[in-house]
Amino acid sequence: MSMAEPMLAPAPGFWNSPGMRRFRRHRLAVFGAATILLLTLACIIGPMLLPYTDTFIDIRSRFAPPFSGPHILGTDPLGRDILARLLMAGRISLAVGFSAMAIAMAIGIVVGLVAGFYEGALGAALMRLVDAMLCFPSIFLLLAISALIQPSVPSIVLLIAMTSWMEVARVVEAQIRSLKTREFVQASISFGASSKRTMFRVLLPNAVAPIVVAATLNVAHAILAESYISFLGFGIQPPTPSWGNMLESAQSYLTSAPWLAIIPGAAITLAVTSFNFIGDGLRDALDARQD
Amino acid sequence: MRDIHDPRLVSNWSLNRRALFGLGAGALAATSGLAARAQTAAKPTAPPPAKPTGVVVVGLSQEPVSFNPLMPGVEVDEVVWTSVFNSLWVAEPDGTLRPDLAAAVPSEGNGGISEGGLAWTVKLRNDVKWHDGTAFTAEDVKYSLELINSAGFKARTRVGHAFVRDIVIRGPHEISWRMEKAYAPYLAMLANTHIVPKHILGKAADPNTAPFNNAPVGTGPFRWGTRQPGDNITLVANESYHGDGPYLEKAVLKYIPDLTALYAQFRTGQVDLVIISGIPANFYQEAIKLPGRKVAVAPSGNLEIIMPNLGNKVFAEKAVRHALYAAMDKQAIIDAIYYGVPKPTESFAPRESWAFNPALPVQQRDLARANKLLDDAGWKRSSSGTRMKNGVPLEFAVSTTTGNQLREQCQQLIQQDWQQVGAKMTINNMPAAVIWGEFYVRSKFESLLVGTTFRTGVDPDPASRFASDAIPVKGGSGGNYMQWENAEADALMKEGQETFDQEKRKAIYFRLQEIVREELPILPIFQYAPIEGVKEGLIGYRPNINQRQNAWNMGSWYWAK
Amino acid sequence: MIGFLLRRLGQALLLLLIVSVIGFAILHLAPGGPLSQFAAGGDMTQADLDRIAEQLGLNRPLPVQYAEWLWRMLSGDWGRSYRDQQPVLHVIGSHIGATLELMLTSTLLAMLLGAWVGILGAIKRYSIFDSLATIGAMIALSIPTFWFGLVIIYVFSVGLGWLPAGNRYTVGDGSFLNQLHHLIGPCIVLALVSTAVWSRYMRSSMLDVINQDFVRTARAKGVPERSILLRHVLRNALLPMITITGLHVPTLLSGALVTETVFTWPGMGRLFLDSISYRDYPVVMGILMFSAILVLLGSLIADLLYGVADPRIAGSH
Repeated sequence: MSMAEPMLAPAPGFWNSPGMRRFRRHRLAVFGAATILLLTLACIIGPMLLPYTDTFIDIRSRFAPPFSGPHILGTDPLGRDILARLLMAGRISLAVGFSAMAIAMAIGIVVGLVAGFYEGALGAALMRLVDAMLCFPSIFLLLAISALIQPSVPSIVLLIAMTSWMEVARVVEAQIRSLKTREFVQASISFGASSKRTMFRVLLPNAVAPIVVAATLNVAHAILAESYISFLGFGIQPPTPSWGNMLESAQSYLTSAPWLAIIPGAAITLAVTSFNFIGDGLRDALDARQD
Repeated sequence: MRDIHDPRLVSNWSLNRRALFGLGAGALAATSGLAARAQTAAKPTAPPPAKPTGVVVVGLSQEPVSFNPLMPGVEVDEVVWTSVFNSLWVAEPDGTLRPDLAAAVPSEGNGGISEGGLAWTVKLRNDVKWHDGTAFTAEDVKYSLELINSAGFKARTRVGHAFVRDIVIRGPHEISWRMEKAYAPYLAMLANTHIVPKHILGKAADPNTAPFNNAPVGTGPFRWGTRQPGDNITLVANESYHGDGPYLEKAVLKYIPDLTALYAQFRTGQVDLVIISGIPANFYQEAIKLPGRKVAVAPSGNLEIIMPNLGNKVFAEKAVRHALYAAMDKQAIIDAIYYGVPKPTESFAPRESWAFNPALPVQQRDLARANKLLDDAGWKRSSSGTRMKNGVPLEFAVSTTTGNQLREQCQQLIQQDWQQVGAKMTINNMPAAVIWGEFYVRSKFESLLVGTTFRTGVDPDPASRFASDAIPVKGGSGGNYMQWENAEADALMKEGQETFDQEKRKAIYFRLQEIVREELPILPIFQYAPIEGVKEGLIGYRPNINQRQNAWNMGSWYWAK
Repeated sequence: MIGFLLRRLGQALLLLLIVSVIGFAILHLAPGGPLSQFAAGGDMTQADLDRIAEQLGLNRPLPVQYAEWLWRMLSGDWGRSYRDQQPVLHVIGSHIGATLELMLTSTLLAMLLGAWVGILGAIKRYSIFDSLATIGAMIALSIPTFWFGLVIIYVFSVGLGWLPAGNRYTVGDGSFLNQLHHLIGPCIVLALVSTAVWSRYMRSSMLDVINQDFVRTARAKGVPERSILLRHVLRNALLPMITITGLHVPTLLSGALVTETVFTWPGMGRLFLDSISYRDYPVVMGILMFSAILVLLGSLIADLLYGVADPRIAGSH
């Protein structure tokens, strides 16, 4: 991950700022942003426009293939409308992605700020904790915990956040450490600003660029993580649909009803790719060295 | 080659299935004789080979890992146990006991059991050898029974064994002991207690970790070959076997942790038979048409039930249990989710058991009756549609193992059924290791969707599941996790344990089934019907409800030509 | 150099200690336990279950259990599996082969493919190939591995019938060709992410070097482009890649776990999932520690090699 320089100059209007212009030039990023916008809108509005709800069971019309009848994307093993479930699942998966990201960012930023600002023993201890957490291959940690907890949307969100804050902490810590030596920070400290004020008012705003990039990539990671946990059967429980658990109940029917696996998987890939495109675009846009 | 595949966390639901398919048994004659021996030679279509030839590949969806037959293990482990070891006698498919290491099955008739069930004497065969050539004697039996009760040993179960006192060796091939109390199910327990060699295990510093446990030496038709952990176990013919067979040169137990993949390999012929977990129901119609394969529903003693926690305010009321039972569409569950393969049941005993009562009232889906039951009991519908009584809503959770897709579908169907009578059911699933821990054994659940058995070993005695002194959360030591207490049932079960005459026991268990059907401490849905498949030409495979798995007689199997 | 090594080693041990505390706490604080599997069948009584829990030492206070585990661990005893009573190292040893086979072959595939894509992308920067490679890598990083596995199986096993749908070999046919045939599917799936990572790093590493002075000088001197690329650029660009390989170990292990599940591959991933479900604490702890050691070793080797390649780095650490 390339480290972005802090943007010190105030931006001349958001839309026309150099960063924004660079972002808009980044076609993939624009594509990603548009896709996410559309996806979110579809998930919010879509379910209201459909004649079926995501939990309506109709055993007689089970396993209807896509594009062949009243169910546009077909039905699942209980005869529920896949499109309705896909959109409702999107709400859950996107919500899980964003909330897990928010929590992970909060933890990561605080740990990174404290470690970077104080350095010394406290900083070292915190960063060793980060290193230790990174020693676990992420899926191992996710599975070890998810096999042991009672699955619900909040517990899955927490679980994902707990296993994905470390990279953020590292990025922030490095950023803060380099910022600390700058004149304007030294000045602030010498004028008697409190540590808290220095950390959150002076240092943090100047570390925003890499944080925004990390946050975007974190959403992508969280959506993927949810799908892994759910795929392995430990995730969000029925009847609540999520993109991941739609896949979980789809594997046994890979030969007879492949659309059950293909549709939610494609949705996950689309969403995650879009977030990654945005992250990439943001990185380029916020990286002042580019021009 | 066309292959299909179903990847998922097998271990998660295989554990659950492993835990759920308990014992496969029911019918067990308390008396038996040498006559049963004739049963084994069930009209073979072709004569067995003179010398062990050929290989059979048995497909298993769980990995056998426990090879000491006296330590904790589940069905797949028993595939190894029944092939490598022998027990004193064996339960046949018709429920009779056939002597194996014993020369005869003791009974009150032949004097083997006397003093009202308190004194037991067993005569053993004198022509049995361990795989290393050492002769099998009464010492081995004494050692095995004592090992089970010895303090530091992680014995699988001490049920029945704990009553054994004063084991006396009356000769190299005769042994006797006393029982602390008359306990008829002990015959069945011994049918599933494999004898281990004293001259090997007795020398180990710690029998829990002895090398024997990973290279078992038995008296059975097959001796231990090799093990590829995570993949397969190979057993080889024991040419000096005392009984029928073995006719196969090798048996490979192949672990394929995925039911769909397992079925695919059975279809392509890489696996010769699929047992225990069997073929998924959604492939049943296709599987029975496969050329060169015999696919059929095997009997199983496991029941799929809703287990209510009677310690819960809502379920404590009998009317509620009856109303919920009446509102369930059992047939829809069976037809839609299980492809019509299993049969609905009303009893806790498997229909193949001699103790099975066929005259129980049959559940009919009747929403009007369910509603009336609840109305009469004072459960009034609130504005939200959920019934209330004395400020308590008719609301509860049904839990099962996460990742079990069929159960999850079943829950959602029941949820819709019960919603129609004003009962709000939520789904609260947990990983296997969590749900079957404290949550289950300390009765912390509201209700469960579970597959389980109500027996002692292969004996129909359900005391450990239904007796009021078997409630762990109330200090009991059994598996009455629904916390059911019924004085008449307690008395019947005590009487059943002390009675050795099968006809008398039958009357006792018939009455008990009526009580359970009336009181509904469990809501039975269906009896399991695993679909097992065998390649044509394999002779000797005989499903046996009185065993925990159907490779129990692998020594008698052979290939026609 | 020795000082650096000792410091890194000390750090690694400290990390392992923290890892073990975290892992132990996660496993043992959760409800349920290794006996759950026997409880549901209704086959063993509560008395039996309680007795075995006692015999396994499961009802002692957690710190005591941890201290005992740590003490034995320090004396080289990783404990015994609750499932088959085998020593943990033996259990891991009997599964590691399948995982290594998968990891090494897919890494090799990813290196070759990734390097090719990355180099070509760097040489023809902003070409259509480069753009497509960029997009492709991004998508590869976004596809859920298990789903990609499913698609591969659906297309190549179910649809075309070219590849087996799982397993390491056909029972009764352990030939090399048979094993190779089974390896193709999982190898491709596991290599997907690595290839993407490799191609991205390779590309930027190449670009870094291309823009450096000595390349410009060589170019100005009229050295042929091909020779510049091979002799100067590629050699210097490959150096940082050594580190990537070391640091890529955790991702690779995670990927292997998922891939093994999809393809019923009898490796460490399968073992881990089975052990987690059975609450086979000693084996789960063993695998967590083992993979942590692998990860640390990976990063240590990466640092060392990088240090050897570029002496300035070693001192600054």
